[in-house]
Parts: sequence; structure tokens; C-alpha cells
Amino acid sequence: MPRRGLCGGLLKFIREDDLEQIRFAVIEVLSEVGVLMEYRPALELLADHGAEVDWAHSIVRIPEGLLQKALLTAPSRFTLYGKTPEWDVKVDLERVYTIGGSCALSVLDLDGVHRPAVRKDLVDLTRLLEAMPNLDIMHQIVVPSDVPELGYELINFATCYSISKRNYYSQAQSAESVRDQVRMAAVFQGSEEAVRRRPTFTEVVCMVSPLKHEKQNSEVLMESARWGIPLYIEVDALCGATTPAPIAGTLVESGANVLAGVVLAQLVNPGVPCIYSIASGIMDMSNGAYSGAAPETTLIHAATAQVAHRFGLPYQGGTGIDAKLPDAQAGYERALQVLTNILAGTNFVHLSYGMMEQMLLASYEQVVIDEEIIGAAYRIARGFEVNDYTLSVDLLARIGPLGGHFLRERETREFYRKDRWLPTITDRNTWDTWQAAGGKDMRQAANERARAILAREEPWAVTPEQAEEIERIAQDGVARAQARRQQLQ
Amino acid sequence: MQLGTTGGESAVLRALTESVIGGEAEQTMSLARQALELGLEPMRAIDEGLIPGIMEVGRRFESHEFFLPELIMAAEAMKKGMAVLEEAIVARGGKREALATVVLGTVKGDIHDIGKSIVGAMLTAHGFVVVDLGVDVPAERFLTEVEKQGAQVLGMSALLPTTMPYMQHVIEELTRRGLRDRVKVVVGGAPVTPAYAERIGADGYGDDAISGVRVVRSLLGLA
Ligand code: B12
Repeated sequence: MPRRGLCGGLLKFIREDDLEQIRFAVIEVLSEVGVLMEYRPALELLADHGAEVDWAHSIVRIPEGLLQKALLTAPSRFTLYGKTPEWDVKVDLERVYTIGGSCALSVLDLDGVHRPAVRKDLVDLTRLLEAMPNLDIMHQIVVPSDVPELGYELINFATCYSISKRNYYSQAQSAESVRDQVRMAAVFQGSEEAVRRRPTFTEVVCMVSPLKHEKQNSEVLMESARWGIPLYIEVDALCGATTPAPIAGTLVESGANVLAGVVLAQLVNPGVPCIYSIASGIMDMSNGAYSGAAPETTLIHAATAQVAHRFGLPYQGGTGIDAKLPDAQAGYERALQVLTNILAGTNFVHLSYGMMEQMLLASYEQVVIDEEIIGAAYRIARGFEVNDYTLSVDLLARIGPLGGHFLRERETREFYRKDRWLPTITDRNTWDTWQAAGGKDMRQAANERARAILAREEPWAVTPEQAEEIERIAQDGVARAQARRQQLQ
Repeated sequence: MQLGTTGGESAVLRALTESVIGGEAEQTMSLARQALELGLEPMRAIDEGLIPGIMEVGRRFESHEFFLPELIMAAEAMKKGMAVLEEAIVARGGKREALATVVLGTVKGDIHDIGKSIVGAMLTAHGFVVVDLGVDVPAERFLTEVEKQGAQVLGMSALLPTTMPYMQHVIEELTRRGLRDRVKVVVGGAPVTPAYAERIGADGYGDDAISGVRVVRSLLGLA
């Protein structure tokens, strides 16, 4: 049974007084060092509200008072809406949810072939993800190579949004793209007003480290905020390259960078939900590679939960792993990463399904394996209850020391079903039994399960007519984006 | 570091080498000045002081004794020392024979900076003169710099499927301006493949910084 909205946060890496030091350092960097914002209207808005702007360098310094005001209006509980209430995600600082994979370029398909992703993969992987009980938020797991580069996010929106009942995690290349996405959601929700009231999608905005907001970042952020679309305000730090090598320094940079975005969003539309987000990694100093699964990366992700929560904001952490195949490396990397994040209270465990090779590759089989890992990790995080009933003194007295067992007891039958996690593709047999059943390793088991799921024709979340209309809006948006590019050239 | 004149030329050359290996930019500059004061030929200070240092760094990097921070700092020290010595060469009316000049940048619309910068450091570390144009670089800028610098190599980086086609655009512009035959074009970035590089008419592709250097060297017939 999926455990939606389980509470995390048992594991803490930062001591209370150290956490305060980090908070002070973030405030100091925000108010003394500042953040570069290329988008003039963003600077103007911040200046109007008392931020100090160095116009020559486009650097904004945000005083503590302005930050505190923004943190007062930024909610720490809200709902991300699914297409049906069953998929609503109730966000606070404790509950833990998962987000699917993001923007891979290649796939490792069910025939074991590594190749560029195409739109059919986006459809199939989204259908596969939709069947994963522990997935809470849908994202575009691949960027297909056979869709136009300009406005690809609209095509991806049309595909994923139409298939999935879950809240959709989107991205935009321009303010106009945000508006197109509102129009697409309105096809399902009935009106743009309905989208504004109960948005069924969110936007992510990825800031640049160190301390920089690109023009496009602020433009998309401000337009989304105007519509009340919840925002994942994200930093993808490369610890040691774009942020300081010490983890503490990376936490400080990311805090200042993210919070500058939160302040801007709150000025545009006080109360718009903002999720403090990272998809950071350490840089492997031997080849420069982004490592999503290094233990230090996982430490950064787990520790950031405490920092985000200290500022009263829900938090997205987690990223892809480094393995290229669904192999032993993939298993250990994913398990450590997901379990640590859940225990640390990462509210949205991001890129938690199928993402490998530094976020460049999506694997069908790994999606299914990750569901298994997440299920097991959730079970650990759920812990166990201690009360008169579970202490079982009466039961122990009844059975006593004179031999006997608990299997035939009513209590056992009642309890185990609620308490035990039921594996799907994990094998717990002995060698001979396992051999007799085909002797499949986990990858083969995952392959079969993925094929079985894809063979089922589940209805999409929207009607065929709605899907058609949404696709039309996406294509129209792409055409406009292309025309705009041509005008510029 | 201050060297007594008794140490003589070989001591200062050795110190230059060590200083590059240690990634000490300031020290490399002052040692370069000392070398000149000692009456050393600037060309000799480069060839027997700086270059052996950076070569050693490259070797240690490939054998995993050194990592990126050491490499980047050494490249920086090399650059600083070079600046001092090149100035002296120019002041004497000479011109330094660099291996080759590489114009490098991440293409327009793309702001992924790190991979390109590492490639730049690695090329510097192997004795190339690198003109790094940064990120979000428009075709016009690439063309002007290739011409102005008389570059033999143009290196472009792209990390997004949306910006990869821009590399082809730059190559077409080079052809249109009659510059295509003058430079070797190498491309890279996580989503770029050798097949893609070939399709857009690039001369070479580098999977990482080391292979980037290898491909540049072989294109220039230095292999
Ligand atoms: C860090 C990062 C960022 C940082 C960049 C910070 C900076 N200052 O550079 C920030 C946060 C700004 C960022 C932004 C975005 N990013 Co980004 N980013 C990354 C990430 C995680 C690592 C890139 C990196 O630096 N790697 C380390 C370096 C050393 O590796 P490298 O660049 O590949 O370079 C090596 C080789 O490729 C080669 N090489 C590189 N260039 C050249 C050139 C030559 C000539 C040669 C020979 C060799 C060569 O040598 C290098 C050294 O080994 C990648 C994932 C990945 N694995 O690549 C995503 C990734 C590239 N980003 C991605 C995306 C989607 C984005 C955004 C669109 C996100 C958004 N929604 O806003 C924006 C785009 C902004 C823009 N207009 O460019 C996607 C792209 C794929 C896709 N399908 O679109 C990726 C794959 C992640 C993902 N799956 O989501 N990103």
C-alpha cells in the first residue's frame, strides 16, 4: 500500500547552534554580497520595496527585514492539486513526497538499447510512472529528440499533463510559455480562473550559482507568481565548482540564491507557494563530472532540509544517480540517496525514478526498481509504534515459554498486514526455489513488470477531445516561439 | 620566493617549474620577473621553466595524483607567468611561438560554464593560448575573435538540446565568411555525440577535457 504523505525528519546533520550560524550567514550574504539579477523589472520591484540595488552591476542586496516579510507571506502549508482529489498533495514541513525523473536526453529501453529519447518514450515512461504507487508528482522524464527545441516544454506539458492524474511539475522558457501552459490546464479545469484557484501544475526555475538569476529565470518566476502557480525555486550547485567546496558554504550560497527568488515571488504575489529546491551535486574532481549519488551530494541534500525548514519553507532535494545500468551500483546509490533524503525530511524527493548517468539517461527498468527501493525506504522511515498493544505483554503471557508460536494468533494476522511492506520484484526465496521460478535477477524482473504495465491500456487523465485541444495549444505555442526566433534573426 | 644570484639560471628555472606545479600564480609572476632580471631569455624561461611544470601537472592529472583544483590553479599560474614573459618578448620586438590559439565559448542561449572552462584550463595546461569568450556567446562574437586572434582552433560547448543546433549555425557562418578553412572546429558538452559533431560539420569532438586536448593536437598534426 502506498504511504502518501509519510513524515520524515528523524535524521539531523546540523546541530541547533550550527543551524543558526548558517541562517545568519545566508542573511549576511543576501544583504551584504547580494544576487545578480539580469531582469530589470525584478530589480525595480525589489528596489521599490527597500532592497538596495547596484544598477551598474544589476546586483540586488536584500535586507533582513524584507526577507522576513517574504517568509511571513510564503506559506509553509499548502496543497498541490491533482486532477482528482485522491492525488492532491498536502504539503507542510514534515510530509514526504516523490517527484519523477527530469529531462533525460537518452533512454535505456526494454530491449537494453541505449538511444536518444523520442516522444514515444515520453508517453511510455509517463504511463509507466503513472502506474507507480509511490510517485506523487509527475515531471517530464525525458526531453524527446524528435520535438522542436523551441517550445519543447509545451509538447512535454501536453503529453504528461494529458496522461497523468498527478500534479504536473513543469518548466518554461518564457513568460508566454507559462501563459500557454495555463491555457492548456484550463482545457481540463474548465477556465483560467479555475487554474488560478487550484493550479494542477507547478513551475521550476533554476538559478545559476554562484548567486545569479538569469533574465529568463525572473521572467518565468514573476509570470508564474502572477498566476499563483506554485514555484520550485531551485539551485543546481556544483559543490567545489560553482559553490564553495565545504558543504556549509554550499548551503549558504544556495540559501541566499533560493531566498532571493522567494522574496521576488512574494513581492509579485504574496502567498504564492514557494518550494526551497536544490538538485545540486558535488563535482568529481578527477573529471569534472556532476555526481548525483556521491555520499557528499546526499549529505548536501539531507542537510538542506534543515536549512529550508529553518526558513519555514517546504523543501525539494534529491537528484539522479551516476550508474549507467540498473546494476549493483544503481541499487546502492539509489537506496542510500532515497533513504537518507526521506529520513532527513526532504518534502519532495526529486528525480527519484529512473534517472541515471548524471541526469542524462532514463531507464525503464530502473523506474520499476526505484519504486521498490522507495517502498522499502518509506517503510523504514515509518518506524514502529510502541504502546500497550504492540508491547504484547498479554500475548507473551498467553503463549508463554513452554513452546508454541505466534503464527496462529489473531493479533499476528491483524497486525502484519498493516505493518509489513510487501515487495513486488524483490526475491526472498532460497536458491533452488528462485531457480525453479526462472532464476531472474532484479533487472529481468523489472523488465517483465514494465512490459506488463505498458501492455495495459489505461485511460489517460483527460478525455481524447481534451488531449487534442491541449496538443493544439502546445503546437500553436511552438509555432509562435519559432516565429519569434525568426524575427530575432 | 627570493633567490640569491648564486642560485643562477638553473635554480630560477627549476623554481619556475615548481611554482607552476604548485599553482602559485603570484610567485610564478615574481619568479618570471627575477628570471628576466637575471638576464635569462624569456623564450628560455617559458620552454625550460613554465612548460615542464605544466606538462608535469598534466601528467599528474591523468594519473590521478592531481585533481581539477590543482590543474586549474596550475593553468592560472602558467597564464600569469606567460603574461610577464610574453610582454618581455614583445618589448624586444619578438613574437612568441605558441602551440596554437584556441577561441573557446559556450554558445548563445546556453549558460553552462564549467565544462567549457575545464577544457580551457586543460588546453592552457598543454601549452595552448586559450581565449575564453565565456557563455551565451553569439556567432558574431566567435567569428570576430577567430579573425582577430588568428586562431587555429574554435572550440564550442553546448549542454542543451535547444542550443546544440547553434553550433551548426556558427559553422555555417564561418563558411559564409570564408573563415571555415582557417580553423579547426571542435565541439563538446554532455549531450553532444561524435555522430552529431560530424553531422554539423565539426572537425572534432571531445568527450572530456583530456580527449579535447587529444583531438585538438591531432587536428593540428601535433599528435
Ligand atoms: C550544473 C548544471 C546547470 C547549472 C549550470 C551552472 C554553470 N555555471 O555552468 C544551471 C543551474 C545554471 C543549469 C541551468 C539549466 N539547465 Co542544467 N545542468 C547542469 C548539470 C547538472 C551539470 C553540468 C556540468 O557543469 N557538468 C560538469 C561539466 C564538467 O561537464 P560538461 O559540461 O559535460 O563538460 C565536459 C564534457 O562535456 C566536455 N566538454 C564540454 N564542453 C566542451 C567543449 C569542447 C570544445 C570540448 C572538446 C569538450 C567539451 O568536457 C567537459 C569536461 O569533462 C547538467 C547535467 C549533466 N550531467 O550535464 C544539467 C543539464 C545539462 N541541465 C539541464 C537543463 C534542463 C537546464 C535548464 C534548462 C533548467 C531550467 N529548467 O531552467 C537550465 C538552462 C539554462 C541555460 N539557458 O543554459 C538538462 C539538459 C537536458 C535537456 N534535456 O534539456 C541537464 C542534462 C540536467 C537535466 N536532466 O535536467 N544547469
